[in-house]
Amino acid sequence: MIRQPISRHWWIGLGVASVLLLVLLYTVFAGSRQATRRREQQRIAIESLQQLSQRAQELEQRRAEARRADNTQVLTQIARDAERLQIEKENALRDRDEPDAVDRTIPTWSMLYREGLLRTCIPQKKFARTELWILDDFKPTLIRLLTALVVGVLISVVIGLLMGCYDPVEAWFLPPFAFFSKVPATAVMPIFFAVVHINFKMFVAIIAFGMLPTLAQSISQCVRKDVPEELVFKAYTLGASQLELIWNVTFRQVLPRILDAARLQIGPALVLLVAAEWLVAGEGLGHRFRLSYQKTDMSVVYFYVFLLGVFGLAADYALIWIRRRICPWFGD
Amino acid sequence: MEVRSTQQPEHSELPDSPHVVLECKDVNHWFGDKKVLYKIRLTVTRGQIVGLVGPSGSGKSTLLRGILGTHPPCAGEVLMDGTPYRRPHRDRGIVYQRYSLFPFLTAEENVAFGLMLDQTTVAFRSFKFWEWWKLRQEHLKQAAALLQRLGLDKARHQYPAELSGGMRQRVAIAQALIMKPKLLLLDEPFGALDEATREDLQLMLLHLYDENLRALEKQEPPPYTILIVTHELNEALYVSDRIVGLSQYHAEGANGATIVYDKAAPIFRPQDPKDVGKFLKQKEQLLDAVFDEEQVQHHLEFVTFWQDHEKSSKAS
Repeated sequence: MIRQPISRHWWIGLGVASVLLLVLLYTVFAGSRQATRRREQQRIAIESLQQLSQRAQELEQRRAEARRADNTQVLTQIARDAERLQIEKENALRDRDEPDAVDRTIPTWSMLYREGLLRTCIPQKKFARTELWILDDFKPTLIRLLTALVVGVLISVVIGLLMGCYDPVEAWFLPPFAFFSKVPATAVMPIFFAVVHINFKMFVAIIAFGMLPTLAQSISQCVRKDVPEELVFKAYTLGASQLELIWNVTFRQVLPRILDAARLQIGPALVLLVAAEWLVAGEGLGHRFRLSYQKTDMSVVYFYVFLLGVFGLAADYALIWIRRRICPWFGD
Repeated sequence: MEVRSTQQPEHSELPDSPHVVLECKDVNHWFGDKKVLYKIRLTVTRGQIVGLVGPSGSGKSTLLRGILGTHPPCAGEVLMDGTPYRRPHRDRGIVYQRYSLFPFLTAEENVAFGLMLDQTTVAFRSFKFWEWWKLRQEHLKQAAALLQRLGLDKARHQYPAELSGGMRQRVAIAQALIMKPKLLLLDEPFGALDEATREDLQLMLLHLYDENLRALEKQEPPPYTILIVTHELNEALYVSDRIVGLSQYHAEGANGATIVYDKAAPIFRPQDPKDVGKFLKQKEQLLDAVFDEEQVQHHLEFVTFWQDHEKSSKAS
């Protein structure tokens, strides 16, 4: 039978088990990746040892010839070559016997801890100044995100309310909004970069642009469908003016739904922001991702991904809590 | 069967303004090709509780919306105190069957809502915050007093979702009455409630009518004029003092429904038992005149309220 309940212990146990399984799989995967890398290093070392022994033989032949010819110049050169050969041989031997190659694209847990967590949370010295990566990266990104969300939501609410209440406003805004809500904002990025100066306002503008059509349309739909006309007529009989109807009746009725719709827009906004920062920003999360990619040094990326996941969950719960406090009448 | 009508004093004795609250003059309404209302003529005077009955599809709700002002009639006029109107106004209150309260306000705030909307503007509330706060406490006190009178003191701070259906309709009636409207419209207000709750609320309306009668005895203008639309005949005959029947089953039915019945109904005081026998004959008359598809008599045969009223006032 479907929907059969299970005890709390099973719920928690299964959840914990799935997380542990993922952790185990990652450990195995990372381990095998490192092992592959080291085997590769050994194989190359063995090949080069073979080549080196060949070269050593050739070198010995040339030395014998040079000794017979008593050519001191060539002998010194051969001596130098022999030294170089010896160093290479030592390196290859060391690679073969104690391989230490590290694959930074799928790091082990200790690498994640050292180069991910510690490196970002402990101030690093870069020439004359110290930088705290976690702060330097998250602060600009979060400020851009917050400003863009506030601006985007405010404009969307105003336009959405007016669209929902007045037909002419809806008729005016519907064609552009219906079209642009389907255009992925990442496709519009190049236009923004080329036309607008790359600064703080540009980031806010692009996120607000990505969020505006969808949010405004959804708010206007809420206003039309979730406000029963009986309430509107009743408000008129209680002496409400137009403004009071929009502000005291309609807005308060759709407020919980606005908060929910805004909460759903945080995800796409963050996606757009990281993409834009990756491409053109001089500071922030996307910028750090770009640097890590160029150096193929992914530990920081993994750690930031984890933090972003936690941030997303926290923002979600925070908005749900805010909605419950402001609109206790709206059943969950 | 004795049908008593209210002891209406002569116009000159009443110390108030116009006697006639509502007048419908030749109201016609249609939706595209479909004709719904035909030559509706209705005059409601102050202090009456009019029960509007009729078979389903007879346009009762359409007429009510036309009287309310939200869907003005396609032809004809509706007048309040002699002035025609075509939009809703604070002088005409309404209680709907569902969505009767604002879900985002508590019961007390719901009742005080009308006072806030009517007496203040958004600018006043935003800029003169201290004055507004004091006025708000006044409003909330008035709302609490009214709710206490209706027996809802404990539910003051609850949201409509937490109230039962009967309590919700009580709060909705309080919300409309606190505005002291000239006319209160009730659109099948007790339709979604169970029998016991319905009787409770009918008793509440009887108390309101009782207040009307006591005001008349003191030579004061009666405070409540109510028009209640209902499909329950017993309810209409119990609560109201005048029955108006709307029906499309008459000689000119193709042109839409019209008023085919308009007579006084027996008056019950709150302490009287609900004796169905009192209006049994009238109920059968109603069923014949209004609800019977077969019987197609002249549609003015039973529209005799004002003639009966004049006869009885001449007799007394």
